[in-house]
Parts: sequence; structure tokens; C-alpha cells
Amino acid sequence: MTVARMMHVLPVEAYTSQEWFDREQAQIFSKLWRFAGFSEDISEPGQYLSVQAGLNNIFIVMGRDRRLRAFHNICRHRGTQLLRAVGKTQKAITCPYHDWTYDLEGRLVSVPEEAEEFTGLNKNCLGLKPASVDLWRGMLFVHPEPDPGSIMEWFGKVEPHLGPHKVEELVEYPQAATSHDIKANWKIVVENYIDVYHLSHLHSGTLAMYDHARAKYGFVGPHYAFWEPLAEFYARDVEKNAPMPLVLPKDQLGASVPMLFPGLGLGESETSWSTFHVIPLAPDLTRVETRTRVKNASDWEFSTQEWRSGAFWGKHISGKYAVEELGEAEDPMTSGDFMAEDVYACEQQQKSLKSPYFEVGASAEQGESPVRQHQQIVLDFLEGRR
Amino acid sequence: MTQAAPQATRSFHKLRVGETRLEIGGSAKTIVFDLPGALCETFRWRPGQHLTLRFNLSGEELRRSYSISSSPFSDDRRLSMRITVKRVEGGRISNHINDNLKAGDKVEVMPPFGGFCLDPGAMRRRTHYFFGAGSGITPLFAMIQSVLSDEPHSVVHLVDGNRNAATILFKDELDRLCDAYPGRLSVSHLLSSPSLWSGFRPWRKGKIDAAAIEAVFAEYPPYAQDVQYYICGPGDMNRFVRTALTSLDVPVSRIHMESYGGAVAQDDTIKGMAATARVTLGDSTQSIEVAEGQTLLEAARAAGLTPPFSCQSGVCGACRARLVKGSAEMRARMALEDTEISKGVVLTCQSLATSSELEVVYE
Repeated sequence: MTVARMMHVLPVEAYTSQEWFDREQAQIFSKLWRFAGFSEDISEPGQYLSVQAGLNNIFIVMGRDRRLRAFHNICRHRGTQLLRAVGKTQKAITCPYHDWTYDLEGRLVSVPEEAEEFTGLNKNCLGLKPASVDLWRGMLFVHPEPDPGSIMEWFGKVEPHLGPHKVEELVEYPQAATSHDIKANWKIVVENYIDVYHLSHLHSGTLAMYDHARAKYGFVGPHYAFWEPLAEFYARDVEKNAPMPLVLPKDQLGASVPMLFPGLGLGESETSWSTFHVIPLAPDLTRVETRTRVKNASDWEFSTQEWRSGAFWGKHISGKYAVEELGEAEDPMTSGDFMAEDVYACEQQQKSLKSPYFEVGASAEQGESPVRQHQQIVLDFLEGRR
Repeated sequence: MTQAAPQATRSFHKLRVGETRLEIGGSAKTIVFDLPGALCETFRWRPGQHLTLRFNLSGEELRRSYSISSSPFSDDRRLSMRITVKRVEGGRISNHINDNLKAGDKVEVMPPFGGFCLDPGAMRRRTHYFFGAGSGITPLFAMIQSVLSDEPHSVVHLVDGNRNAATILFKDELDRLCDAYPGRLSVSHLLSSPSLWSGFRPWRKGKIDAAAIEAVFAEYPPYAQDVQYYICGPGDMNRFVRTALTSLDVPVSRIHMESYGGAVAQDDTIKGMAATARVTLGDSTQSIEVAEGQTLLEAARAAGLTPPFSCQSGVCGACRARLVKGSAEMRARMALEDTEISKGVVLTCQSLATSSELEVVYE
């Protein structure tokens, strides 16, 4: 008899097997509200975008009333995907295969050679399958069901624990967008994000400007909330030393770093507001896409702030190890980039999972409690308790 | 035969006027009723509903419906039920109210009624667009207040059409709401003939037409994507705004409307036929004769029954009943949704028999 090897609450195979991956895709990522972009991605009537949300491909399109509609991106004829990525349409959506055409309410309005080829066709029964879309905190979300209830039933209770940022007043800084394909299971990536214990160790050189000892964190329903204040040495002269213009009033400075279920991290800091979108691609491969908003200020204001704070950050940001120590110039552990440090840690953990000798030790009572709780939440969804 | 008493909710109660206030320079009057504790439940209203008032002027009984212009979600409902009545040229009741009604007077009032409602939900998150004109603002104002206080995740955009700045009802109250709920309420005033001497600058000149609606959507695009549209104004305006909305892809299922203070589209070509109708009212059923050209309501009253009714123009819905046998046609049906009509609901004040035998149940 073999005893299942465990990652605390979940078995190790939850991080390696295709079967677990498929169940999570079906029972978690295809059934809940999913991040689909920023509100400004669709700003004019006729614009659309399509998004893969678990097993569902859903497109969002804006009508001339500027309301968004969402439909499953499947032609009702032979099932072909109707729309690709992003673009602009007018009043109709036409399938490229046989030119079946739908209006913006999803109604099938035209079928070529209908009289000759489709006697008695009831077009009313062949409208696009409706899905749902909503905007919240400047973000687009989609849900595969036409009437899933208000998005506040999903996010309402965690909202008061998020940052005080007026997200709609911030603007995207497109150059800051990143995409990383991380060779690790999505839960490894999420667990790293919500592991409080690692902050002052892995990131000793990169996140010391926050006071991890005073962090407040915990789960609100399936969502994780986290807040920590600025470290004293940084807070003392923050107007001068902030790397970018501040986006919060002085009495509300700090960083909120929640992880909304499933796999949408936010990084809400004193100078920026970011999304950290976790997209599972395979049991051992996860894409993380980040996008960032900053203050709506002039280039001059940004340059001035960067210049004023340069010396401070030169002194306070460093790699975990010195280049001289490792002898490698291009190493995540010398990079001084906390994202690179996290990617490295996630991939190093995933590498061990298939070893017959793999075994986890003790888990930190406080600082790693979110890791165990997140595993329990995943299990609850798969076993129908949530 | 004795007639069963109509349900308490559709009979009249004497209410004391607690307070009156002149609006827009005396062209309208707000009446606040004193609700005795015992009637609070009977008079519980949904935002958007109206009251029917009954007066006896020089021996003639007259009834009018007026929207409640306040939210039912205030701290003390006994002191908050109010209507605002604008003078109508030649209108007997509206001028009587404006000329004579004062604090302490007793008025006969039927409990709140009507299907043009907005029920707020604490966890709902919607964008509500309101299109009002003239006194059409009254039910919308109750809805707006209710959303702001009891649907905290939702946003409200009001487009209010008036002749000039001096005729805008609740202008100060709207300003105060904008201040009290920053970022949740926008008010766009349209004036059809603004006075040159007024310091007030409207959002736009003209009427609420397709261009104005497109402009308001561009300036205040919906944020919450469960979007609802409410229209309340004189008969023509409702039709124009509805057409403009549907031409901008707004689905009909999201449009809610009530006609106000103007001509309602009526089909006068329907003549009907003589018929016998079995009418169930409360616990009793009685057969009555309906003459050609006579409405079911007129026939029932002529036979001595006391069915509920109010506006007699197909707007308020107080006289609704269900046709369980036979057929009838309605001259106007503003107060009914298509789904209700498909279930046999009729407005008896507008219905003429089109079959010789009918069965009608007031529910």
C-alpha cells in the first residue's frame, strides 16, 4: 500500500497530474467570475475582445448604448469560434465559416441560402449562448452563466479589505505589462503569492521597504486579503523617496496585496496598482500576466520623482545574494527583482515534486497558514463544498 | 345581494395632511401625509408606486393618481409619504389641491399601487438611467433616493427635461443628493426653452431626443453592467425615448416606463359588443350585462358593484382584473406588461367585450 504524499492539505499529485488539472479547469476556472482585462480595453461601441476562462471562450462586445454584452464564442451552426482576440465590429457578428450572422443581442439574424437549405429553421432557438460581464475596480470580469447573480455576491465581502485606491482615476502604464510562463503548477504560484513567511527571507533585498512584521492578513470567503505598512526608514521621507508619484494620501500609505479566487492577485501599493493574473496552462506550466496602473501625471512629474528617489533605492534594493558571491551576473538571486526571485522559487519547488524522495516538513503556524487555507479552499471546490 | 368589501389595500382611508409646501414658485405643491401607525403596513409602498386620491367637488366624485415622490426606506415612514402635484391647466383636482389643501385637512387615499417600480437590493449592482420630464420626475425621485440609500453598489444617471429652470421640480433636493452621494449620481438638465435671464446653465438645450441620449451614454457610460432604463413623462415623450433607446441597441426588457400627465395613445376604433359577464369581486360573483361600447368597469359600476379603479385612462393599473373566459380588447394598456397580458390580465376601464360571454376576476 502506498500512502499519498502530501503538500499539507492537498496530495502532491494535485500539483503534477493532468487529472487534477482537468478537474480544476472544469470545477473552478470554468464556473466562477474570471478576470478579462481592464475597462479601457473596450471603450467604444462595436469593440470586442475574447477571453479564455477555463474551458470557456467568451467574448465581450460593446453595444451603441455602451453596455457590454458577453456571449460564448461559439457559432450555433457548427461550433466555430466567431471572433478572435480583439477588434471592432459594427452591428453584427458574422461567422467566417458559413457567414451565419448574429446581432449584438446574440440573435441569429441571417443564414445564407436559408430557404433552399434549412426548411423550417427556427432562428429564435439558435441565438448565441449568453454569458455575463461586469466591471469592478476598473477590471472586466466574465462569467459563463447568463444570470450568475451580482458580482458583489462574489467580491462584496472582501472589497472593504482591499486598498483605498480610486482605481478608475489611475491610468495604465503599458510598458510595465509583463507575461511570464512559469514552469510550476498554478497553486505553487498562488501559494508563493500568499506566503507571508517568505517575504523577509527570499525578498530580503527587494521588499524591505514594507514592514512585514506588522502585516495583517486572512481569508474573507475564498479570497485572501493582505495589508502591510511601509517600513519606518521609507515612510519617514516617502514624498522624496517614493519611486513614482504617490497614489494614496499620506495617512493611508501601505501595500494591499490580495489574492482573489481563483488566481487574481492585486498589488495595490503607495505608488502603483497592478493585476497579477494566474492562468494555468498545464499541470506544471502557468502563465502570469501583470498590468499596472499609476497616477495620471505628466512625464515630467515621473522623471522628477525617479531622479529624487534614485539614490535612496540604489542603497535599499539589492539581490538576495551579491554578484561576487554567486559569480553569476544573470541570476535571479542577484537580480534585485522580486518577481524574478518568486519565479525562481516556484520553479525550484516544482522540480522536486516528482522525486520519490520529496517530502514537506513543518509549515509555519502563522506565516504559512494562508498556504494551507488556500489548499483547503481548492479542495472544497473540487469536492462540492463551495 | 350584498357586495363583499373590496380588499383593504384597494379601499380608501382618510389620511391627515401633515404638511404642505409650495414648489416651483407655486406651480406645484408637495403634500406630506401623517400615517397613523396602524396604517403603516397597509400603506407600505415600493419606489415608483402612486396613491389614488378621492375628492368630492360640488357633489361629483373625482379620483386622481399621484406618484409618491419619496423613498419608503427613510427612518420614519410615518412622516415621509408625500406626493407632489403640479397644476394642470383646467385640472379640477390639481388646482383644488394647489389652491386649498393645507395641513390638518383630511383626504381620502387608496393605498399605494402600480407596477412601475424599482426595488433596491443591498447586494445588487446596477446602473440605472432615468429619463424624466415635468412632473414625471416624481416617481423617479422616489426610485433615485431609494437606490442611493439602499442599493449602495449601484450608480444613478438622471436626465431631466423641463421647459426652463424655474419649472424644475426638486432641483435643490437633487443638488443635495449629488453632494451627499459623490460619484453615484449624475443629473443632466435639459431645457426646451431656457430663459435668457436665468443664471442656470443646463447640461443641454432641447428635448430628450436620440442625440441627447447618445450624449449622456458617452458622458456617463454604464459602469455596473446590469443596466436598467426608466422613462416617465408625458405620453409622447415615453414613446420617443423608448424608440431612441431601442435604436441604440437597448433591449426592450431593460426599459421600464410610465405615462404621465398627457394624452395616452388610445385605439378608439374598438367598439366591442353586448355581452354577459360573470364578475368575481372579493368573495362574491355576479352576472352583469355589458352594453356595446361600454367598458367592463362602466358595466360593473352600473350594476352596482364597487370594483377598484382610479385614473380611467389605462395608466395606473388600479382596475386590473383577470379575464378567465371570453375575450376583450383594450383601448389603451400602458399599465400592463406584455407578459401580464399574455396571462389574461386586463384593465377593466379600457376593456370592451369581443365575445358574448365573459368571466372576469378582480384579484
